This record gives sequence, C-alpha cells and structure tokens, in this order.
Amino acid sequence: MSKQLFVALSIASACLAQGPGRGPVNPLLNGNPYVSPQEVKGGPIVRLPDGKPDLQGAWLQRTVGNSMSMYSIEATPGHPKTSIPRTAGVIVDPADGVIPYQPWARQREIDLSENHMVEESDAHCFLGGVPHQMYTPFGMRILQPPGFVVMTWEFMHAYRIIPLDGRPHIHPSIKLFEGDSRGHWEGDTLVIDVTNQVARTWLDQSANIHSDAIHVVERITPVDSNNLTYEATIEDSKAYTKPWTIRFSYSRILDPKFEHLEFACIEGEVDVAKH
Amino acid sequence: MKILASISCAVAVVCLVSVPVSSQTKGAPKGKAYIAPRLADGKPDLNGIWEVRAKVDADLEGKVNGKNIIVDPADGKIPYKPEALAKKKENFQKRATEDPLNKCHAPGVPRLAYISYPFQIVESANQPVIAFLSQYVHTLRNINMQGEHLDGLELWFGDSRGRWEGETLVVDVAAFNSDTWFDAAGNHHSDALHVVERFTRTGPETITYEATIEDPKVLTKPFKISLPLMLHTEKNFQIMEYECYALKEGPTFTVGDKPDPQHAK
Repeated sequence: MSKQLFVALSIASACLAQGPGRGPVNPLLNGNPYVSPQEVKGGPIVRLPDGKPDLQGAWLQRTVGNSMSMYSIEATPGHPKTSIPRTAGVIVDPADGVIPYQPWARQREIDLSENHMVEESDAHCFLGGVPHQMYTPFGMRILQPPGFVVMTWEFMHAYRIIPLDGRPHIHPSIKLFEGDSRGHWEGDTLVIDVTNQVARTWLDQSANIHSDAIHVVERITPVDSNNLTYEATIEDSKAYTKPWTIRFSYSRILDPKFEHLEFACIEGEVDVAKH
Repeated sequence: MKILASISCAVAVVCLVSVPVSSQTKGAPKGKAYIAPRLADGKPDLNGIWEVRAKVDADLEGKVNGKNIIVDPADGKIPYKPEALAKKKENFQKRATEDPLNKCHAPGVPRLAYISYPFQIVESANQPVIAFLSQYVHTLRNINMQGEHLDGLELWFGDSRGRWEGETLVVDVAAFNSDTWFDAAGNHHSDALHVVERFTRTGPETITYEATIEDPKVLTKPFKISLPLMLHTEKNFQIMEYECYALKEGPTFTVGDKPDPQHAK
C-alpha cells in the first residue's frame, strides 16, 4: 500500500516536472527521477573565493548498476510481497553488501517488511533522516552561503542546514528526524558528522532500520566539476554489530533552467489514515 | 533674517544628510538609510534566522507596536467583497478545525513570513535560488531569481520569482491554490491571488517585510501589509523541527527516540 502511494506521488511529481513552462527536460533525468543514468565528465573542481570546493548547483545520485538505494540500501534478491526489486545496494563495507545487524534488529527488519510496510517513513511524509535523505528522487540543490553548506530537495520539501563553524552538537536528549549535522573540510572533502536522529525513519523502503544511537559520518568529495563521490559510515551500537559504509556518486543536473517544484505530501494524504 | 533662515535651513539639511551616514558607520538602524552587508556578488546579504516575534498570525487586521499591520487601506481592514466577508466570518467560527495550520498543512504566502516559527534565509552569491527554510514542518520555499512564472499550476506557496531593487528583495508570487489562509482568524483568498513581497534590511537585526496582496475574486481592491522581522542572535541558535503531523499520528506508530521495546532484546 505504501509502495503504491509512493509510486503515485512519484508519478505526480514527475509529470509536474515536465509540465508547461519548464523548458527542456534535463537529459540526465532521462525519464527516470531516481537515478541519473550516465556520467558526464566535467572540468576542474570549481572553487569559492576562500579556496574551498564550490559544490553549488543541482545534483542527482548516480548509483551503480541495477541499484536503487531508495528501494534497498543493502543487497537483496528482491521481495515479491513488497515489490522491492533485486538490487546490489550501495554497501561497500562489509564486502557482502549486507547490513551487519544484531539479531533482534534483523528480526525486526523481517517482521516490518513482511507485516508492517505501512510503517514506511516515506508513506507518512516523514523526513528521511541521514543517509536516506541523500538518495531521494527529483534532485538535490546545494547552496553554500557564508559559514554553511545547505542541501534542499524537492522530495518532501526536505532540507539540511550544515554549520561549518565548529559549534558543538545539540544536547543528546533532543531527537530530530533529519538529525543534527556539523561539517568541516578535510582538503577537498566535506566531512559531516550527524547525530541526534530519531529511531522512526527507515534507511530505505525495505524496512532497513536503525536506533536512536545512529551516528553517521559522511564524506562528500568532488571528482570534477560535474561529479561528486558520496561516502557514509554508519554506526549504531544498539542495532549493528559493527560500523558499515555506503558509497555512490552524484552527477550535476546540467540544465541551467532546472528548478525544484513544490512537493505537497501531507496536504493530500489520505491513504495511511485508513489504516 | 532671511540670511539666518537660509543658514538654519542649510544646517538642517546638513544634519538630515549626515544622520544616515553616521548611523551607517555605527551600524544603528535609521529607517531607509541602513545599508545591508553585501555578499561577494554585491547583493544585500539577507542570510540569518528571522522571526516575526509578534502576534501577527492571530489576526492580520490587528496591530504590531501600536500600528496597523495592514497599512493600506488606512482603516487596517481587508477590503473584502460582501460574500468573501461572509466566508471570512464562517472561517473564523470554524477555525479550530479548518485553519490549514491546524491540519499541519502548508501556510502559503504571505503567511510563512509571520507565523510564529523561525525561518532561515539561505542566500549565496550568483545562485539562481534564494531558499527560505522554516521550522514549521520543514518548509522549503524556493525564490527563483531567474525565469518566468509557471503556467497552469496551483501551488500551496505559489511560484516565486525574485529580483533586487537596490536594498530590497522583491518577490512576485503567482499560481496559487485557494487552500491557504492569511492568518488564524480565517482571512482567506482565491486562486486568483497575486502577492508582491518586499524584504528590506532596515538595521543589523531587522528586516521590514511588506506585501501587496491582490485578488479580484475576493477583494474590492488590493491591500498592503508591513511588519518587522527580527534576527535571532542567540549563540548557536539553529532551526529545529516542528514535525506537526508526526506528533499527531496515532498510537500504532512508534514516533520516538527508542526502538519498539517488544522488538528489542
């Protein structure tokens, strides 16, 4: 049910994206709002006046092979009941591509995917949390106003505000859907430390879960002016036996007229309320 | 006498001219004289976390600091057509259930600027978008600094096209739906709504927000509001989350900071 709702939302937004007044549809989107299919090589890394990489603009994740991390972050043969397709996932450590769950957490993931897909966080119009937010569809825009890196998405009208001034994290008792992000530069790599997340969000649409102890360290590195490498190490002493790492790429959406449209979710939501 | 009068006039003019200059150097607010800090592209820097800090959203026909929020017409009232005024009174009676904010829905424009939640203006040099990020239900409002209005869409926040007029960010907003209200008192509009907003920094910690609102289906003539937005200057202040509908969901959903205990060891 939640899958159908989400697909309906996706189609609606994809139709809007090609509506009147939009100009040419970005070739990178190529009819697929989830992943950009091909890499377009860019020039040298663009820099801000302070010498840091200028990551600004619109981006879309370019995951590897038949992999849609939105569906499943980990390798899976597919799941007929939930219509999750076979995917290689985006986990690069451990090498088997599978989340190193503690037994209770794997059992809960199985129970949720078999019996409680209605709890999928996207279906409730919830924010995705980190890293889930980073592979949601329809494009991400990065802005770098003085002292911050800011990311915005059309999907769920989500945003992340990442201060670079070295301020401490908020108190551990405060829990946020999108977590609390603090960034700094290590050479040309933007390193983001993310804490304070709620346990309610899923890592994908396949019921892969975490607890409120989740701690994510993200590393975003420009390859050239059109491509970024994204890596995140995820640790959670309550849910996993050891930390694990995901990696994928973003390509720049090259159409200078590309714009995010409005994504109203809860305003038209009736499906979940029936359950 | 004539000479003395001329001298005093001259002194007065010099004083008038010198006031803005001195206030500028001291960084003190003095009306239109304030010159905002600049970004690398020379545009006024509106970055910061802003909030109205006054009870504007309760009723747009009320007052802030003793002045009418509605500055035109002079009576401070919305110039409704008779049937639209009747609808407003009906909305007021039903506001507990029908106010879009009580349904966790999008506040729209201009309401986003003066609901009681802070929002961060994200402005970076030479970018096609200025983003407004509100604490109210993680609202993202994009001000496109290029392009034309979209046709054929009805949007909760409308379609925003911004431009700079000197110190002022001017945003033309059209393509609305009719589902948002102007305030918690049931003041309303149709899908013919057209809003022109003006954001002007009038001091180191203030923006004067003005909006001219026209809607030929609902109003006999346009009206204009003016109100102050205040900068949050508390150390490390940041936008948090007001996840309205997540808080309202029923008990079957484990919205919280712990895994469901019956699943945990």
